Amino acid sequence: MSLPEFKLLRPRTLGDAMGYLAQYAGNIRVLAGGTDLIPSMRQKLFEPEYVLDLRGVDQLRGERRLNDGGVEIGALTALSTIEKSTYLREHFPVLTEAAATVASPVIRNMGTIGGNICLDTRCLWYNQSLAWRKACGFCIKKDGNLCHVAPGGTKCWAAFSGDTPAALLCLNAEIEIASAIGTRRVALRDFYTNDGQDYRKLKANELVTRVLLPAESAGYRGVYRKLRVRGSIDYPLAGVAVAMKRSNMRVDDARVAITAVNPAPILVERAGQILTGKVVNEALAESIGDIAARTAKPLTTSGLTPEYRREMVRVFTKRAVLAAAHN
Amino acid sequence: MNSAMTDFSIIGKPTAMVDAAGKTTGGGKYADDLSVPGMLIGKILHSPYPHARIKGIDTSRAEKLDGVVAVAIGKDAPNPFGILPVGHDEHALALDKVRYVGDNVACVVAVSEAIAEKALELIDVEYELLPAYFDPEESMKAESDLIHDHKPHNIEKDYHHVFGDPEKGFAEADHIAEARFIANEVTHAAMEPHCTLASFELDPHTGKLGRLTVQSSTQVPYYLQHKLSLVLEMPMQQIRVIKPLVGGGFGGKSEVIPLEIIAAIAARKAKAPVKITYTREEVFWAHRGRPRTIVDLKTGVKHDGRITAVKALVVQDGGAYCSYGVVTILYSGALLGALYDIPNIQYDGYRVLTNKPACGAMRGHGTVNVRFAFESQLDELAQKIGMDPAEIRLRNLLKPPCITVNSLRVQSYGLPECIERTVERSGWKRRKGKLPRGRGLGVACSHYVSGAANSIIRSDMPHSTVNIKIDRDGGVVVYTGASEIGQGSDTMTAQIAAEALGCSLERVRVIAADTDLTPIDIGSYSSRVTFMAGNATLRAAEEVRKMIAAAAAKKMDCAAEDLVFREDVVFKKGSALPIAKRDQLEEVEITQSGASVSGRVEGQILRGSLQQKRKEEGPKEWMTFEEAVVAAIDFHGALTGTGSYAPPPEARGGKHKGAGVGPSPAYSYSAQVAEVSVDEETGEVTVHKVWAAHDCGRALNPVAVEGQIIGSVWMGMGQALTEEMVWKDGMLMNAGLLEYRSPSSVESPEIEPIIVESVDPEGPFGAKECSEGSLAATIPAIANAIHDAVGVRLHESPFTPERVLAALRAKKKQKALNLAEGVDLTSPARFREHGGALWFKGKGPERHPLDPARHEMPAGGAD
Repeated sequence: MSLPEFKLLRPRTLGDAMGYLAQYAGNIRVLAGGTDLIPSMRQKLFEPEYVLDLRGVDQLRGERRLNDGGVEIGALTALSTIEKSTYLREHFPVLTEAAATVASPVIRNMGTIGGNICLDTRCLWYNQSLAWRKACGFCIKKDGNLCHVAPGGTKCWAAFSGDTPAALLCLNAEIEIASAIGTRRVALRDFYTNDGQDYRKLKANELVTRVLLPAESAGYRGVYRKLRVRGSIDYPLAGVAVAMKRSNMRVDDARVAITAVNPAPILVERAGQILTGKVVNEALAESIGDIAARTAKPLTTSGLTPEYRREMVRVFTKRAVLAAAHN
Repeated sequence: MNSAMTDFSIIGKPTAMVDAAGKTTGGGKYADDLSVPGMLIGKILHSPYPHARIKGIDTSRAEKLDGVVAVAIGKDAPNPFGILPVGHDEHALALDKVRYVGDNVACVVAVSEAIAEKALELIDVEYELLPAYFDPEESMKAESDLIHDHKPHNIEKDYHHVFGDPEKGFAEADHIAEARFIANEVTHAAMEPHCTLASFELDPHTGKLGRLTVQSSTQVPYYLQHKLSLVLEMPMQQIRVIKPLVGGGFGGKSEVIPLEIIAAIAARKAKAPVKITYTREEVFWAHRGRPRTIVDLKTGVKHDGRITAVKALVVQDGGAYCSYGVVTILYSGALLGALYDIPNIQYDGYRVLTNKPACGAMRGHGTVNVRFAFESQLDELAQKIGMDPAEIRLRNLLKPPCITVNSLRVQSYGLPECIERTVERSGWKRRKGKLPRGRGLGVACSHYVSGAANSIIRSDMPHSTVNIKIDRDGGVVVYTGASEIGQGSDTMTAQIAAEALGCSLERVRVIAADTDLTPIDIGSYSSRVTFMAGNATLRAAEEVRKMIAAAAAKKMDCAAEDLVFREDVVFKKGSALPIAKRDQLEEVEITQSGASVSGRVEGQILRGSLQQKRKEEGPKEWMTFEEAVVAAIDFHGALTGTGSYAPPPEARGGKHKGAGVGPSPAYSYSAQVAEVSVDEETGEVTVHKVWAAHDCGRALNPVAVEGQIIGSVWMGMGQALTEEMVWKDGMLMNAGLLEYRSPSSVESPEIEPIIVESVDPEGPFGAKECSEGSLAATIPAIANAIHDAVGVRLHESPFTPERVLAALRAKKKQKALNLAEGVDLTSPARFREHGGALWFKGKGPERHPLDPARHEMPAGGAD
């Protein structure tokens, strides 16, 4: 499968990048690590006239510790860098744990945190070659007007399949979004739409430039559990992140997020509220699992059956909560 | 050469593959690495429909696109072909019908891949849709709109065999088990996608096309040459097929794949060399893997563990074309025999056509899925009669040499030792049943042919022929048609030649699989190469050695029979090996030759003069290999030899219909113990270790044998746990290596290969096959281990976590995990459910509103 023809733009500064983005908005795709974009372009899911290769923009790379104890991570920082960062592992372990589960070591060397946050939603009816999609009559997300996953529906259910955003949600992370006009900050939880097609709130001339981990989230114990058939390479079929602050055996504060079972990564509402002030035991963990499973809406977008994946959200959440509470 | 001989200098020694350097440095050339001047790129247009008649093809818009040189369609080469003489049902490009999503419709030849892909979009094909068949049991009910007009009920072939008296056998049984097993469809997933480069010689004066050269990723260059000749209507002598390095075959390249012929048709039409490389998706469409197999199995045993009868009804979902299907369905029945002593066998096999890519041969061809069922059921029966599962297998051993009830000749038989050694190494007796909850051990056995005793081309031609030429400086060139596909064929050939000639491995160069240069060999499949091409190599080498011996004997004043050839020296039997003397001679050469070019030249001269001096010395006690070769060339004029192999008539099986498949000159044997743990909350299975003993007759190259055992176990584990082709509506949902999940290194368990050497009386130095036989045991060994761990019996592979969890829940009568939730059970036919995969038991899919298939087509013709 050949890559469609495009013009490659290779800015050296963020300003130049923003300029290109403004100039070609709507007809340009951003390449950070390329691990998702390139295969998708070969499948003709995207045929932009321009590809903006950010890899020369050094200012978007690396972690910077803030005076207040928070951390800023450049959007171009490789997932393997995050995975290996001793500082992050010590203070924001849920993030390093989630980063370490992404794809395979080779892909983590290329893939970036910004790319993982902006990852296109995935569906077995969508992530296929042009010939394949043509044979099934296309789908609502691309070139068609029909959903094969929820026939008759008009909404796209493609699953958000990034691992790190679940962890970032648990850390109350914010992201910085830049455009030629200026920058803005949004809470990650407000970034996603839960619609598989228009899955994130990012304008055509905007770029995610930084991830900000607030000081208040430092020191939370963190666990990420990922359902996949293979121990490597696979996208999550379900993912659960838990961040928890304890004193003695009691939970001071906790957050639970799930991914890969909805068109967005989602914070499990009320989970923190229920856990706060309690000593975690099997029954409590199980009840959190139940809530998480109810939050999940897995469909046949991905491998294994939806019923099984929902069941695993329950089991993995329970296990993650227990692990965060007792390890 | 006496097969009982054990004092070898090369055989049995761990030997690096002779082609390892190119492969490890990236210098080696695979088909897609090749290019020739003026080469164009071909891209194939595939059918979007599972079953449709082609009303018309208009290629004019595509032809007008800048950069497009030609567009080939079916009528450019309408002759049918197929790997089996009875199965010539394929056309390189569809003539009037397409039979699966992905079937080949047209081929664009252009100056670049991107332009060719664009041109594909400009080909207008008018289809008339036909009802499609996806489930083999539904397909067998078809009355009309058949996939192939000459195959009623869409049955490619059915066989009904009765050996002994099964009814009597079941009447004598104390316990009978009966169950349905399903093994879902898997594919080879070889690393290298198929690729073919075809080029014609052009007559510079007339512009007419001359000879055709095809370089292709194939396991069977001679079959390719033959089929090209049929389709292109060219004599075989006008076609040269060359096999470059091949990056794995596993059966997927053991027949002629459409692109191999399409490339030649396209090159003819474009009057320019054309290369086509499949995308991974196209590899999945070309497929030829292991069919989804439904096995209804019944086995009876006595209290003492003796099997009294076996009855198997096997239905294979063969896809849209015959491929190797007739052979597959026969192997499934025939190889019920030759592993254990089973007195009564009934076998009913149906190879069924469906509108999916053709299934064909895949590692362990035909035996694997039935073996999974059989070994699982034997485990159940052992439990019923309260016998150790390893013991019940030992109770049913054959007593070779013997002929089985279905006429298979068994000579060497290492199965007992395989079982004993795996049991011992795994601590079976000590640990079985005593592991912590959720952890278990399972045992299973398997076997495989060392090549088919009857070739698929039904001729008396030898299956392998090998030529050897020796040059004046002692360089040995072996010409073999056997295809190195990564399994070590070239290394095996070099080892056998060197051992038989008594020369060092470094002297031997192997020229393989080039139809202009190498004598005919039917290819690398059914694990035949070591046994057959190995024997041919041995015979060719022995012939040449006789010539050398005759000349050397004159120089040494003794009888030719009294000479020993070993380690580059020829000496009289009984005298001590004068290696030291040879080394002295070589040392002179080395010191004299030095590093400079002139020094080397002087060394050569010195070497020549030393030889000359020794020549003049008169009769000798010993000669170097080189001296002996020079003497032989002086004496005979040329030093070449040839050897061939055809299986002996006694090994060719019975006379019943279908008896041709199953017989082999020798069978390999395997026994395995798998240790697994099962997470009872998630259903996830982890394989911790597999002990795999394999009887390969003699391990010519122990590291290669171990590699093959490990590879087989690993591939079997993939089929057991994660690999499955998932279909919906004729669409392959996972046509890529991301969603078709072969195990990664994380899941790879420790595998302890145990080599058992039964020394076959007819194998080269006693060797038998070692590349396929071990695969089949892995799947039931894991299934049996899961049963030992958590007490659930899995009847359907792969044992994905959801299947395991569903079985666990059913057993515990816990909240059921309804994997079919959402299925409208009242109209399964409407949803055209098939393939057995669990993912898509949900609603849908619906086709696009503009897709004509959406309107008239309740498939399967069932409603």
